[in-house]
Amino acid sequence: MINILIILIGKLLSKFSKIFNLGNGSTWPGHIALKLNPNFISDSIRNSKTKVILVVGTNGKTTTSKLLQTILEHNQKKVFLNTSGANLLNGAASSIILNSSFVKLDADFAIFELDENAFPKFLEKVEPDYIVGLNLFRDQLDRYGEIDTISKRWKKSVSKLIKTKLILNADDAQIAFLGKNTKLDSFYFGLNEKNLEKSTMQHASDSILCPNCGAALNFKAYYFSHLGIWRCDKCGFKRPNKIFSEFTYLPLRGTYAKYDVLAAVLLAKIIGFNDSKIESALKKFQPAFGRQEVINYNGKQVELFLSKNPISLNESLSTAQGLKAKTLLIILNDNIPDGLDVSWIWDVDFEQILSKNINIVVSGIRAYDMAIRLKYAGFYVHITDTIENAIDVGLKDLENNEKLFILPNYSAMLEVRKILTGKKIL
Amino acid sequence: MNYKLTIGWLYPKLMSTYGDRGNVIVLQKRCEWRKIETEIKIIDTLSTNKDLSSCDLLMMGGAQDTQQEIVAKDLKKKKSTFKKMIEDGTPGLYICGGFQYLGRYYKTAQGNKLPQLEVLDMYTENPGRERLIGNIAIDAQNLFEKRTVLVGFENHGGRTIPGDNIKPLGRVLRGFGSNDISKEEGALYKNTIGTYLHGPILSKNPVLADYLIEKALELKYKTDITLEMLDDSLEEKARMAIAKRLQIAI
Repeated sequence: MINILIILIGKLLSKFSKIFNLGNGSTWPGHIALKLNPNFISDSIRNSKTKVILVVGTNGKTTTSKLLQTILEHNQKKVFLNTSGANLLNGAASSIILNSSFVKLDADFAIFELDENAFPKFLEKVEPDYIVGLNLFRDQLDRYGEIDTISKRWKKSVSKLIKTKLILNADDAQIAFLGKNTKLDSFYFGLNEKNLEKSTMQHASDSILCPNCGAALNFKAYYFSHLGIWRCDKCGFKRPNKIFSEFTYLPLRGTYAKYDVLAAVLLAKIIGFNDSKIESALKKFQPAFGRQEVINYNGKQVELFLSKNPISLNESLSTAQGLKAKTLLIILNDNIPDGLDVSWIWDVDFEQILSKNINIVVSGIRAYDMAIRLKYAGFYVHITDTIENAIDVGLKDLENNEKLFILPNYSAMLEVRKILTGKKIL
Repeated sequence: MNYKLTIGWLYPKLMSTYGDRGNVIVLQKRCEWRKIETEIKIIDTLSTNKDLSSCDLLMMGGAQDTQQEIVAKDLKKKKSTFKKMIEDGTPGLYICGGFQYLGRYYKTAQGNKLPQLEVLDMYTENPGRERLIGNIAIDAQNLFEKRTVLVGFENHGGRTIPGDNIKPLGRVLRGFGSNDISKEEGALYKNTIGTYLHGPILSKNPVLADYLIEKALELKYKTDITLEMLDDSLEEKARMAIAKRLQIAI
């Protein structure tokens, strides 16, 4: 009974906050719901026919969720997800409130992207139908702690599940570890591309130790950071054999995005959609905001690549360089959603990735930190005080057929998108 | 005269948690800009004592617990060489986990006492309470003999308690420092500098980078060295921006 009340109050609160513009309304109805009933999420899900999909990992959660949503909705399923940036329990609870009609959750699928800490907490309350495990990179040590610790905590939480199906990245040892010695059905995706295999690791790499026994892992090849073909010579734990690694159509560019597509497609196949249905859905795919999103601004084109940690910034730089970018705008903030510590920019391989004649404009609260990093990498940069100026400077010398590539971290992405589209996104 | 420095980077694969390589890049570039030749020598589990003793300047970053144990085991084999280098005045920068290593022991949150290198009279305990996280500014007066503000970011669970023979690197102006009581930060012993400041520390505090380079050259070439000035206006602006946010005067 209390949940009916919570849902009604929550809906009212959300409306109220939207009308009076008191923030985005995407987390605090959920916050209140969980205060009134700590079991709000599990109660709501138990009383519904909604299947629950959790998407976890450091990078690619939003894109993978959006890919899944596209495939499911294109195939007439009713889907909801927690809005971006609301990947804690209160965000998940809020999305339930907004998607409940009267008292019941009204959807075929709920997709929740959860951050590193919220994931085990969610599993304490609800056993999901599917978990998609993408990757574990170091991100925001000030908030999440070290990845070995996260990996151990995840393994412990997952080992208590009974019926969940696991969709795991075989190339990431820490993620593949979730499927080791488990009775749960585990399915793996990963790459199988000779031309991408590198013999050395990028600098910003971690988890080179076996998650099972702690010995150093032996890599036959690296695809991307610590993702690759690995095995442990000590305990024998190795990359699984049966791996889903190709699909007929990829709606996004980059090695990194390929993992997200493979994850979403593999789950769609497990749910029961055939390849042609999945492919036709993916042809309708629109990138999540800030992720390879193209926006027209003052008659010119701007493309946004959310770049929030060393791995995602490396990948954004590679993709922009591959597309022959003439000018980059890098925006670095240190607000709470970004992590307060910006030291990670020194783990980014600017020196190896970018050509020396590229124009770089920097902005954001930590513009000087980024400018120093680039100075030591051998690039001259233009520092601007406001993001508006930075965009103008970046666009100034571009021809009409050239794009400005903007690489912001999280809160910077929200700011820049507001300027480019003239509206708030959340 | 053509100068050359060998910079020993200790366990980069295991101990490079968050931008630690930035310190090496800064040292290398600031030498390069002054036409001082550099060689970066990686010191890890495969290196010998001879490799270690061929270095003119040492740099060690932080690590996660598992990695830290592997390093501790390996460092035991290199302990006497390492200790002698520090006693002889080899300049070195030891950050976070690297700093803790120099002490007598590290007591984990579970109460396990892990013996450390015992080169410095200090110890570290992790009480299992909240980590000390945030922007930090210190006055490194002990090193520079006048008020010199260094800025950085700290993130550590361990609290380091210095003994009587250790001079702290500086006084905390904003933030926590070595522990949450003494308002002191880091340690200074001969030319060895231990600190919790990362960011990485040398990127915004070039004065410290130049100090290490100068001392390394002086020790190697046994002569007084005055380094050529570089344009550090960008670094200065970055430091000012942090100081302004922390509301302190530089």
